[in-house]
Amino acid sequence: MREGLVIFRRELRSYFLSPIAYVFGGLFLGILLFVASASSLQNGAQANMQAFFGLLPFLLLLFVPALTMRSWAEERKQGTIELLMTFPVTGAQLVLGKFAAAVAYLAFVLVLTLGLPLTLAAYGRLDWTPILGSYLASVLFASSFVAVGMFWSSLTRDQIIAMLVSLVTLLALYMLGYPQLIELMAQWLPAVCIDLLNGISPYKYFESIGRGVIDTRDIVYFACFCGFFLYANTLVLQARRQKG
Amino acid sequence: MSNHAPFRISAQRGGALAVAVHVVLLFCVLAQVVYLATRHRVRVDLTSDKIYSLTASTRGLLQKLDQRLVVEAYFSPKDKLPVNYRETRAVLDNFLDELVQLGKGKVVLKRYDPNSDKAIADRCSRIGVKPADLKSTSSTSLSVDRHWQGVRLVYGGKHKVLEMVAPPSSFVAEATITPAIKEVITETKHRFGFMEWPVMAAGQQNPGGIGWNVLRTIDQIAKRYEFQNYKDEDSPLLPADLETLFLFRPRDLTDRQKYVIDQFVVRGGTLVVFADAVEYAIGPQRQFTRIPFQLDAPGSARKLVDQLAHYGIDWKPKVLADIVQQAHTPRDVMTAPFEYLAVQENTQFGARFGWTPYPYFFHPVATDWSLVADQLARDDDGKVDAAVADQYRKTFGPGLPADDFLFKTFKQLGRGPGLYWPTWVGLREKAGGVPDMPEGVTGRVLMQSSPAVLAEDPPANLDPFGRGDPSARSVQYQKFMQNLKGRFRSEPRMQAPLMVEVRGAFTSFFADGDRPKRPSEIKEEEARKAAEAKKDEAQKPADPTKPGEQGPPPPEAGKAETPPIPAEAAPVRKGDKPGRIVMVGDADFLRDDFVRGDMRQAGGPWSALAGVFFLQTLDWLAEDRDLVDLQARVPVDRTLKFASDEPVAANDARVAEQTLRRRTNWLRGLNVVLPCALLTAFGLVVWFVRRAQKRVFLDSLPN
Repeated sequence: MREGLVIFRRELRSYFLSPIAYVFGGLFLGILLFVASASSLQNGAQANMQAFFGLLPFLLLLFVPALTMRSWAEERKQGTIELLMTFPVTGAQLVLGKFAAAVAYLAFVLVLTLGLPLTLAAYGRLDWTPILGSYLASVLFASSFVAVGMFWSSLTRDQIIAMLVSLVTLLALYMLGYPQLIELMAQWLPAVCIDLLNGISPYKYFESIGRGVIDTRDIVYFACFCGFFLYANTLVLQARRQKG
Repeated sequence: MSNHAPFRISAQRGGALAVAVHVVLLFCVLAQVVYLATRHRVRVDLTSDKIYSLTASTRGLLQKLDQRLVVEAYFSPKDKLPVNYRETRAVLDNFLDELVQLGKGKVVLKRYDPNSDKAIADRCSRIGVKPADLKSTSSTSLSVDRHWQGVRLVYGGKHKVLEMVAPPSSFVAEATITPAIKEVITETKHRFGFMEWPVMAAGQQNPGGIGWNVLRTIDQIAKRYEFQNYKDEDSPLLPADLETLFLFRPRDLTDRQKYVIDQFVVRGGTLVVFADAVEYAIGPQRQFTRIPFQLDAPGSARKLVDQLAHYGIDWKPKVLADIVQQAHTPRDVMTAPFEYLAVQENTQFGARFGWTPYPYFFHPVATDWSLVADQLARDDDGKVDAAVADQYRKTFGPGLPADDFLFKTFKQLGRGPGLYWPTWVGLREKAGGVPDMPEGVTGRVLMQSSPAVLAEDPPANLDPFGRGDPSARSVQYQKFMQNLKGRFRSEPRMQAPLMVEVRGAFTSFFADGDRPKRPSEIKEEEARKAAEAKKDEAQKPADPTKPGEQGPPPPEAGKAETPPIPAEAAPVRKGDKPGRIVMVGDADFLRDDFVRGDMRQAGGPWSALAGVFFLQTLDWLAEDRDLVDLQARVPVDRTLKFASDEPVAANDARVAEQTLRRRTNWLRGLNVVLPCALLTAFGLVVWFVRRAQKRVFLDSLPN
């Protein structure tokens, strides 16, 4: 546990010491808040954050692979992974430490957007609890993307490839939650496959929590989704460790 | 080394296979976990108005079941449904499962697949469950398949069929199925009496055009309540078992009708009056011209206004206008601007209807107006008169002051129903605003306007636009609004009561004289008098100059061929049972054409909340709370307001618009720049700290 915490601190520090984090954060916040503010902050509009949480998954889809591409690929490229492997930490601790740091960084960026709901609350009757639920859903959603991004990063030495493969995977997962696409796919695939594919998409569960209903099903899904990719990530590391 | 290579490759392959097996197994296990979590889930609805949870209405109804409620679900297989319908099936399945769970054995769900058995399909046709032929497409074919998603509720000997249910959300599922459960478990219908005076629609030749048939006959009301028309002034008094009588837009009331109403109230009945002081015809271009209207029939000795005052209701037959923008803004300006008054305007996206302020159509606002006493007490220079503000704080109150469940939905919405040319209906007062209720009678105001109301004798027309070309109409409209604003500046601030309730043992308005005779009695008396006169005439010696008058004798009085008049109970001077009168200062909002929205295409008005108000009034009168929570589950108004709704009219619309735009831009800018600036500042702090640490470190190094 302590070792994992050390890895977490090290990783989190590396995010905040790198200018990339600020460029990434600034761009992410700028685009998200510009679009969401223009849409939400209108006299006579309803005090809700639909625009914000509508755009957020798409932006996460674009930005998370950029954030996670370096998590393992960079270590491998710089040769620090061998050093890491010599630390008295297990593969799972390494993976969890890096994962928690990336999620913490994204949560920090999300905290910076709280100004928008505060503004809405100042000028309208904002229902706070679903908003907090939506933030929780966003963190879970981002976590699932981070898990996928880290997994692909562990498989390759090239950051660009890691980013592109992550992007494609996440895009596919994201799109599977879209009813229009599912409807289109229903023309070719049997109903069981459609239900299965639709059930895999994190977007569907994000929407469910995002409307203000915390359901154990959604939480379990995100836990399993992250668990699956993190475990796969650990297996890759272990295989590499055994390979020497 | 090379000798070991095959073993290494083999080991690597084995390792990869193990990893793959590991991953596949893990996937299967986790998929199972997710599946189990779907089957046994716990959910917490975080929304403040619990819009994703079953309301107390459904729970309460299920607790009231004393027999088994059988829910027959006629569903064709889910996996064959088109994709867009599959989600509705999931919602419906969840809802029905929840019903069964909450029913604790009293709710039984039976599922049938009409596609699998022709006998079931035939049964569906018999009971009224209807199929839907839906299009399904695949890469190679296009087919139209028959699908079923109907529900039948059976309770005791009653049943209710919902022929096709496809709720997009649990909210809609509950709003559809719970009232059906209520309907099927309702044993006896509550009976209401009514008297109606329909008006003629523009261009209509025969009377009886615009009434309030729509509201009385909508399914949700007609299946639960029974209405009977008692507007027959010749019959005896209203039946003793009738508890509630509605008067819808009373006009041309005869003394006899007033007497019947009086005796009903004195004997302990509940009278509900929807009254108008004036009637305006609505022209095709929203010209509102006054048409003849009188409350009392010609020759009537007693005035309806006096009769109501006798019971403690002060009805001032004036027309009201509420200047506060909040009060006359439609509920949904964007999609239904015609709720009050809209005008077609050309925009860059084409012609569309835009809401146009018309303060004669307004709703009570739930706001507590004593809180804006300071704003109301400002003079032209913007200074607050403390004494006046203090007086306003004491005098003014909320637009919906009553806590009755009738207003639960409306308080959620933050507004009462829309009223059209409403009139003043208050409690009787002495000079100085001191209550002056009859002995043993209490009263309260249930709805009132904002303090920026204007009352006037109904003018000949309330047309805001005139009849000229568009520019002339625009000029006329400006004048119309300026006139109202001018009056607002010069007239005192007051709140107009719009709905009142009085209760108590009433004395008869007709206690000081004989009861008015029924038309048949009058006729009989006239016939008798005529017969007597003829008899007298016949007994006189015959006039030889008039030979032709010697005919057969006239029929004797009492032997006329008219049916006998049923006897009537003796007048009651003072009631021993407490009666009740509820009066609303508007009837237009319930009239058929407003409720149906016949005039939406022409710019309104459309009485959007009348149905909700009327249904809830019936529940309130019948003291039936079963569906209140369901009906009160309406989206809360969460409109953003960057500009205040101060009752003081804006001096210059352009300045106000510029101010609003500046504020909006500033807020948007702040929301974008501030977080980025915070992040940058944090980065700079980190950078400076790091630089300082680096310097300290470098300084600590030996040369």
